[in-house]
Amino acid sequence: MIVRPARITDLAALLTLARQAVPVLAALPADEERLAHRLRWTQRAFAGQIERADADYLFVLEDDDQQVVGISALTGAIGLREPWYNYRVGMTVRSSPDLGIQRQIPTLFLNNEMTGQSEVRSLFLRPDQRRGSNGRLLSLGRLLFVAEFAELFGEKLIAELRGRADEQGCSPFWDSLGRHFFKMDFNHAHQLSRLGSKASIAELMPRQPLYTCLLTEQAQAVIGKAHPNTEPAMKILTDEGFTHEGYVDIFDAGPVIEAPLARIRSVRDSQALVLAIGTPDDHAPVWLIHNRRLENCRITTAPAKRVGNSLMVDRLTAKRLQLQPGDSVRAVPLLCHQARAVAA
Amino acid sequence: MLVIRPVELTDLPQLQRLAHDSLIGVTSLPDNAERLHERIVDSCNSFDQDVRSPGGQNYFFVLQDLTNQHLAGCSEILATAGFDEPFHSLRNRHFTSASRELNIEHGVPALSLCHDLNGHTLLRGFHIDAPLVRSPASELLSRARLMFIAAHPQRFAQAVITEIVGYSDAEGRSPFWDAVGKHFFDLPYAEAERLCGLESRTFLAELMPQYPIYVPMLPQPAQDCIGRIHPDGQDAFDILEREGFETNSYIDLFDGGPTLHARLADIRSIAQSKVNTVLRNDSIDARGRYLVSNESLKGFRAIVAELDYHAGQPVSLDGEMCAALKVTDGSLVRVIAL
Repeated sequence: MIVRPARITDLAALLTLARQAVPVLAALPADEERLAHRLRWTQRAFAGQIERADADYLFVLEDDDQQVVGISALTGAIGLREPWYNYRVGMTVRSSPDLGIQRQIPTLFLNNEMTGQSEVRSLFLRPDQRRGSNGRLLSLGRLLFVAEFAELFGEKLIAELRGRADEQGCSPFWDSLGRHFFKMDFNHAHQLSRLGSKASIAELMPRQPLYTCLLTEQAQAVIGKAHPNTEPAMKILTDEGFTHEGYVDIFDAGPVIEAPLARIRSVRDSQALVLAIGTPDDHAPVWLIHNRRLENCRITTAPAKRVGNSLMVDRLTAKRLQLQPGDSVRAVPLLCHQARAVAA
Repeated sequence: MLVIRPVELTDLPQLQRLAHDSLIGVTSLPDNAERLHERIVDSCNSFDQDVRSPGGQNYFFVLQDLTNQHLAGCSEILATAGFDEPFHSLRNRHFTSASRELNIEHGVPALSLCHDLNGHTLLRGFHIDAPLVRSPASELLSRARLMFIAAHPQRFAQAVITEIVGYSDAEGRSPFWDAVGKHFFDLPYAEAERLCGLESRTFLAELMPQYPIYVPMLPQPAQDCIGRIHPDGQDAFDILEREGFETNSYIDLFDGGPTLHARLADIRSIAQSKVNTVLRNDSIDARGRYLVSNESLKGFRAIVAELDYHAGQPVSLDGEMCAALKVTDGSLVRVIAL
């Protein structure tokens, strides 16, 4: 398996994938024209022809038979072309010393504080491929790419995780708040948002802070709570150092998790090493390895043995990376120490 | 005969009874002897003051049965709402939600705390014994205040407001309070209303929500309370509505009850009442019922009387009426049809 930039020649494969993903991933449009546009756009991004504000890096996960089985994406910067809105769950305190009353009222503050940061998004792995280290490769490959090309990204990476919804896809948070300002149901708004009208929708929202105590109890209960389906993806990122700092999505109140680049394990612990070919022993740990190329970026996972500043992998791995012995790679152990300890 | 007159210190015991019986939400009438005493003293001082423009004066009137000295009701005029401390209300206005790209534009009603009504003259503290509700006495108790304003316009603002008690159930629970105020005050509705009558109202400003409350987000029973009148407040509302008062976009922040508003020039008992001299006449061939008041300040009196009244001519009053109004032949009185 490798992670590599998506290309226009992936169109047919991605359309098939997108149709499987619906409705889980409206982020990957199942519309041929829109998808083709996005693929051409991402090719230009990987060619370094796009400004950070517009850059959209779309990666595919491909097996050794050149079958595309997954997708993930990174944006150069959010909010620089049109405003990016989140709620921050803050606190308002009302207090009357005379009466001995103090009320602490969680309050939602509309903000654009994520402006200029980079977003990891659009992760989808074909259900029959959700095994082994495929999910980690697809998700963390992006982070290793960021480690290599930090100048293309913001100070932080963020991820907006889908919020809680019922079986019909209705969000209690939306029903208690957004619905009153949009006069449309959540799925419709969600669709508009995915089609790129999120900022327009956000314009309909009140600018003033909102007291959460005025929301329904069901809505209050889901603020900052991720949809159970997104928990595996969230776990991978939180293991890497992503944390929830109180920002939530304005539609469904799903958590926005974030991490400064320097605090992301795969970024912080990754290092440039010299590739060597050999036979790592059976107990060699699995590494996440990037060939350090932008346009011809290839990332894979493989058992590897580190000796000094060289990383020994088998011949197939080098072939996957399209590298020769002596070439430089960026690599990091796939699992963080803590996770390895648990696994042992 | 029932007469309206300014409150006196000796009225305290009877006022305590009235305060005790008064409806929750008539917050200007505290069920507390000390506060009531202060209120009486404050009113006496207000009537005594030489006033050229309205200030913090509060004029407190009682309805007394002259046959047995029983006090059957009371009412007040605060010359300037918000004079001593801000007068809070909730303004119900539309927040416009618009997106050109999506071709959506609609209004979402939102309640915002405001002091827009500061500076208006405020009618308040209206309470009458239950058997007299919807009687001429009730009209007298409410409208005598307007007659007083007509006689002493320099003491009042150009517009008058009043808050009508909002809906609460038989147990004293207010759905509006439960959905809004309770979150911020951490008190039951009745207790909050009691504190408003008792303590300094600074706690209101300290605890009240500072950001707008969007109406569609409130539970339906709370939304239904916006502008809804307590059944026992209907009489007070109807009297003033007939006088030309209108509801506006302001509501009470505790119970959602409506605010009524009128400019002096649009108030019937002020604009249409006529002043003329008294003609003592003990054999009146009554043709209709009228409100009659004298033009005094501290000696203000008002009654309901059956008269043979003709506009532009002296007002014939019998001995009992003259005694109740403390007027004699040649005194000036103000008259308006009941």
